[in-house]
Amino acid sequence: MNNLRLLMPETVLATLALVVAFVDLVLPARKSRVLYHLGWLSAAGVLGWVALTMGDSSAHGTGTLWAADPFSQFFKMTTLLTCALCLLLGLDYAELPDSGAGTFSALMLLSTAGLMYLVSATDLLLVFVALELVSISSFILAGFERRNPKSNEGSMKYFLFGAFSSAIMVFGISLYYGATGTTKLAAAGAVPGPMLILALVLILLGFGFKASLAPMHFWVPDAYEGAPTPVTTFLSVAPKLATFAAIARVFGAIFPLQTYDLTLLVSIIAALTMTAGNFTAMFQTDVKRLLAYSSIAQAGYLLIGLAAGSPLGREGVMLYSFVYVAMNVGAFAVVQAVGSAKGSYDLSAFDGLYKRRLGLALALMFCLLSLAGIPPLAGFIGKMVIFSSAVQAGQWWLAVVGVLNSCVSVYYYFAIAHRMFFKEPSDDSAIPVGAYVCGGVAVAVVGVLLFGVHPEPLLAGVRASAKMLP
Amino acid sequence: MNMLSLITFAPLVGALIILCIPKEKEKAIQTVAFIFAGISLIASLAMIPGFDKGTHEMQFVERFAWIPSFGVQYFLGVDGLSFPMILLTTFMSVIALIGSLGIEKRVKEYFFWFLVLEVGMLGVFCALDLILFYVFWELTLVPMYFLIGVWGGPKKEFAAIKFFLYTLTGSVFMLLAILALYFAAPTHTFDMLELAKLTGGWDRTFQILVFLGLYFGMAIKVPAFPFHTWLPLAHVEAPTAISVILAAVLLKMGVYGLLRISYTLTPLGFQWFLPALAAIAVINIVYGALCAMAQTDMKKMVAYSSVNHMGYCLLGIAGMTSAGFAGAVFQMITHGIITGALFLLVGVIYDRAHTRDVSAFGGLAVKLPVYAGLMSLTCFASLGLPGLAGFIGEFLCFLGAFQTWKWHAAVAVLGIIATAAFFLRMMQKVFLGKFNEKWAGLEDMTARELVSIVPLAALTVLFGVYPKWPLDLMNKTLEHMLGK
Repeated sequence: MNNLRLLMPETVLATLALVVAFVDLVLPARKSRVLYHLGWLSAAGVLGWVALTMGDSSAHGTGTLWAADPFSQFFKMTTLLTCALCLLLGLDYAELPDSGAGTFSALMLLSTAGLMYLVSATDLLLVFVALELVSISSFILAGFERRNPKSNEGSMKYFLFGAFSSAIMVFGISLYYGATGTTKLAAAGAVPGPMLILALVLILLGFGFKASLAPMHFWVPDAYEGAPTPVTTFLSVAPKLATFAAIARVFGAIFPLQTYDLTLLVSIIAALTMTAGNFTAMFQTDVKRLLAYSSIAQAGYLLIGLAAGSPLGREGVMLYSFVYVAMNVGAFAVVQAVGSAKGSYDLSAFDGLYKRRLGLALALMFCLLSLAGIPPLAGFIGKMVIFSSAVQAGQWWLAVVGVLNSCVSVYYYFAIAHRMFFKEPSDDSAIPVGAYVCGGVAVAVVGVLLFGVHPEPLLAGVRASAKMLP
Repeated sequence: MNMLSLITFAPLVGALIILCIPKEKEKAIQTVAFIFAGISLIASLAMIPGFDKGTHEMQFVERFAWIPSFGVQYFLGVDGLSFPMILLTTFMSVIALIGSLGIEKRVKEYFFWFLVLEVGMLGVFCALDLILFYVFWELTLVPMYFLIGVWGGPKKEFAAIKFFLYTLTGSVFMLLAILALYFAAPTHTFDMLELAKLTGGWDRTFQILVFLGLYFGMAIKVPAFPFHTWLPLAHVEAPTAISVILAAVLLKMGVYGLLRISYTLTPLGFQWFLPALAAIAVINIVYGALCAMAQTDMKKMVAYSSVNHMGYCLLGIAGMTSAGFAGAVFQMITHGIITGALFLLVGVIYDRAHTRDVSAFGGLAVKLPVYAGLMSLTCFASLGLPGLAGFIGEFLCFLGAFQTWKWHAAVAVLGIIATAAFFLRMMQKVFLGKFNEKWAGLEDMTARELVSIVPLAALTVLFGVYPKWPLDLMNKTLEHMLGK
């Protein structure tokens, strides 16, 4: 029973998701907003549970297909936090029909549960099943605005790309099975050779799809643009970070990149991802697409930490992940408020935002500055640790590409700031902000500022939870 | 009493208070800004009696762990190099605030960003931990972006983003260099004083690479040729008071960084770069002066004169003698005061005439005697007339550089002639000759303008005839840096 007990939080969450779906059937349609509340409370409750058992070693251990360790607990927390915040955003997102609240919340929770399985998985079978659970829920979520053709298009592309990359992943897993005779992720029985390396590369590409790494990133802008904004927020944060956790487990702890000569490949992917994301983002006029490309670039920075292949790099990835939740959710929350009010996500919707709602403009400014890595905001600390891991590992060129990309990113982040503060609005009416968006933004901005000025608790926490069980 | 923290963070408190004041209460906002910038000024002046000129050690040190798991400290302290810079910053901030009283658009935001900018500038000069230094260094960027971009001239938005991207690109390389130093130290520290003791153990190639990373960040701020192209644009487009701050303080951050960080932490790299530095200094001096000569816009002319004057600082540093170093630091102070005054004076005429074109005026000395007098004094100081402050700095820089770089100094002296030429030509066109009747309605300087400019003019004369006091402040530290 100890084996199953380790997965208690995600199992409870999955059960709660089913409860939400079931309540939806019996609840009258006009009351269905309650289900959002039920959804975010479930996520927040499980988040509290995981957080409280962080230091409790009896909650840690190795199961048959999974390992519950501080590392996975940490990423479970980031995922749950994102899920709760995104459901809060959903409450204020008018384009979602109230009648779909149950399905929506249930799918978000299921997707989150899938991600929680993923970060614990030590067996490729569980990895695959978890990824599929996430993917299938996400496909539906991305197409949730049924009357919006862009939503349909994005969802379709997402699905096709997803199917393709799943196939690649399965092929990788089959090769892996051929090379090792098991699906268990352990280097002990593995015979190093071309087949194993090929298997690992294919698995990496499969992960790359979820984490939006170049060249597997082409679905991102369309899916993000079409999806309901709370879903975009979720997709841009939770699956990406959980996949990074899985990559860190497989290619950091079990099959170290250095041992299998994969460092160069991963470094090149990181450089490519950053560069492709940033240089495409510069030309976007739709804010959701712009942030989609920005999130691709952010994945590139995260990958630098993994390419370094050191404990410091892993800490950097964890730290940056946590900070990334705050800054990306905050940015998307403001984008949702403005976009909903204007009915358009064009850059011009942000003209003169300082006059229409100074608080929103400042909040978005802080989040963008943090994404760009400008001190003294939290994003700077994260980037600093990641770049320092590259410097420590002697990967100078990667660090240089990284910092240059940071500079490029300032250009398009400030294109939004420029609109908000330098342009005059077309009308002066205040932008309505729902209470839940307001709450989400406040949490994000406080996080970005607090962890920027006083990062020690976060750094110490990350260091304490960087431990992985085999 | 944590004097340095008080000086650095008083403006931040002011900025936060301003955020809470409704934007219609402009008088209250201005008052708060003055009170908190004033606290910094008074506190920095109050440090003078307690500042020991006889030692090179850090004084008023404050130190505690900020991010212990990464070895980052909150470590402040001043010595003879940074203390004059802090006095300059607090003083010029108040002067620039007086110059900002004419701002009418979005007053609340203006003073908010202004105070945040002051925090960044002061922090740079106080910080003795490299990451802390970097944080403050970058903290100046965002306020400056807004101050130029919202309140600037016609091309303000382009100027703002160009300034931001240019300086950011420089400083990220500085960050990489800082991280390299961190990992090169066996104790893994960002403490500048600790790192300075370890330089003997680092090989030359490493020091050269790190130096280049640091230099890239500093040179853009200075700005040293060929990284100076952001400066004319930013200076011209920025509102008057911000041009003052840019010239008086922000450029000094670059030279200060060269001395404080590049020179002490990568001595071999610095040595290796010296010939190039001397050449760049000469180019800055001559090319800056020639560019200034070609301008018809007075503000642009003053902006290029900054390129020229920072060249003297670099030349003084390249001399690697105590006279050269003292000249460089003295030049930093006097350039801050004199060029600050010049920008204010150009602002005065622009506010009235709405043009800065040199040839649009003529014979103004008849109509505006006080203005003409102050402008002449400042121009003479800037071109290095003996008896005024500018001369001392330039003279010491040449004196320090001549021993090592005879030919460079000889060519650079030509730059002085060009400097004199463009200032004299400007004065001739604007103040002398036939009075242009178009400007018959111009009025002489108001009390507010006098309050901001007269103190600068007074200091120009004072430091010109009695340079001993500022030189005494810095001498011990600079001699120690040169290993004497």
